[in-house]
Amino acid sequence: MEIKGSVAVITGGGNGIGEAVAKYFVSNGAKVVIVDMAQANIDRVVAEIKGMGGEVIGVQANVTSEADTARFYQAAIEAFGQVNIVVSCAGIIRDGTMLALDKETGKVSRKMGLDKWQPVIDTNLTGTFLTIRDGAEAMVNGGWKGLLVAISSVNKAGQVGQLNYSSAKVADALLPKIVVGEFLMRGIRNIRCIAIAPGYTATPMVAGMNQDALQALLKDVHLGRLVEPIEIARLIGHAVENEAINATTMEITGGLCYPGGIAK
Amino acid sequence: MKTFSYNDLAYSVEAAGNAWDIVCTRGDGKTAVVAAGVLVGVAEKDVEARARALVRVINPVGIRSIGPDVGHPQRVGDIIIVGPDVGHPNFIYWNKDSASCPKTL
Repeated sequence: MEIKGSVAVITGGGNGIGEAVAKYFVSNGAKVVIVDMAQANIDRVVAEIKGMGGEVIGVQANVTSEADTARFYQAAIEAFGQVNIVVSCAGIIRDGTMLALDKETGKVSRKMGLDKWQPVIDTNLTGTFLTIRDGAEAMVNGGWKGLLVAISSVNKAGQVGQLNYSSAKVADALLPKIVVGEFLMRGIRNIRCIAIAPGYTATPMVAGMNQDALQALLKDVHLGRLVEPIEIARLIGHAVENEAINATTMEITGGLCYPGGIAK
Repeated sequence: MKTFSYNDLAYSVEAAGNAWDIVCTRGDGKTAVVAAGVLVGVAEKDVEARARALVRVINPVGIRSIGPDVGHPQRVGDIIIVGPDVGHPNFIYWNKDSASCPKTL
């Protein structure tokens, strides 16, 4: 499958990994649909892509809404006539431990509330499900060849302080095997599904982390720096073109290890 | 170039090779690119309608009506029957006085 001439729908396309993926696809001849919650981010990225000579539309939408999901696919088809690549980058973090203890009494002083749990599950898991589901629907009904890409995370392994995020991302990592199994069962042979599990990546979300904690994490990265969003975009681009890559989750971490040099 | 108004915002549609660019002037007077290189091959006479349709999908405006729940058990036709709260102090029986609002003659 070629990137050139394909139509890519990218949620969370207004910054970070999504923006890098969109610009990489455009520079390789794809048409892109930028989906994001923030209109200002959409306006900036769409203007920059137009400046690159690219073909693009921007749609402000909430990936947790079925109506919004249906709308951005409808817009993609209205503008470009088809959908071939879907990259579900929209994601958030609301970090915190499940319990916090009072130092003096040793009793529970705070619990992770649904205000931290539910938005992360809704955006990172339900949002991915809706994006992949409706992307698959559009491709099947249109008869278009395609690739569906969920974005998992290396923290699918289970990161303390991210019970909500890790729970969603481990589910996102499992999704391609089930989806492709279903495609096989239904005789759908022209649509693939994969997930990408990035390590610590130079995105605005990671830039917002505690910087001391970030530096401590980088000590265990063989590469010695954050993964750049463009490096993730190139991996997704390779997956588009290499049709043997299917029903799998690919990690791109720069060599993330447990402390002491044990590969994670 | 074609122009049209939708939801009190001004849109312009300009040719870009054999495709079209759509630009919106926002409420603050700033312009934003809505779409670039879309509607490939659409003729100039048809482009305004197609651009309007695309803008409507991207920025829908309107009210969604939700019909009556005809499956609801307490109803007569489309009217939902909600039982009276006979324990409320202001509840007035047709043949009794109210405890909190006694009838004055």
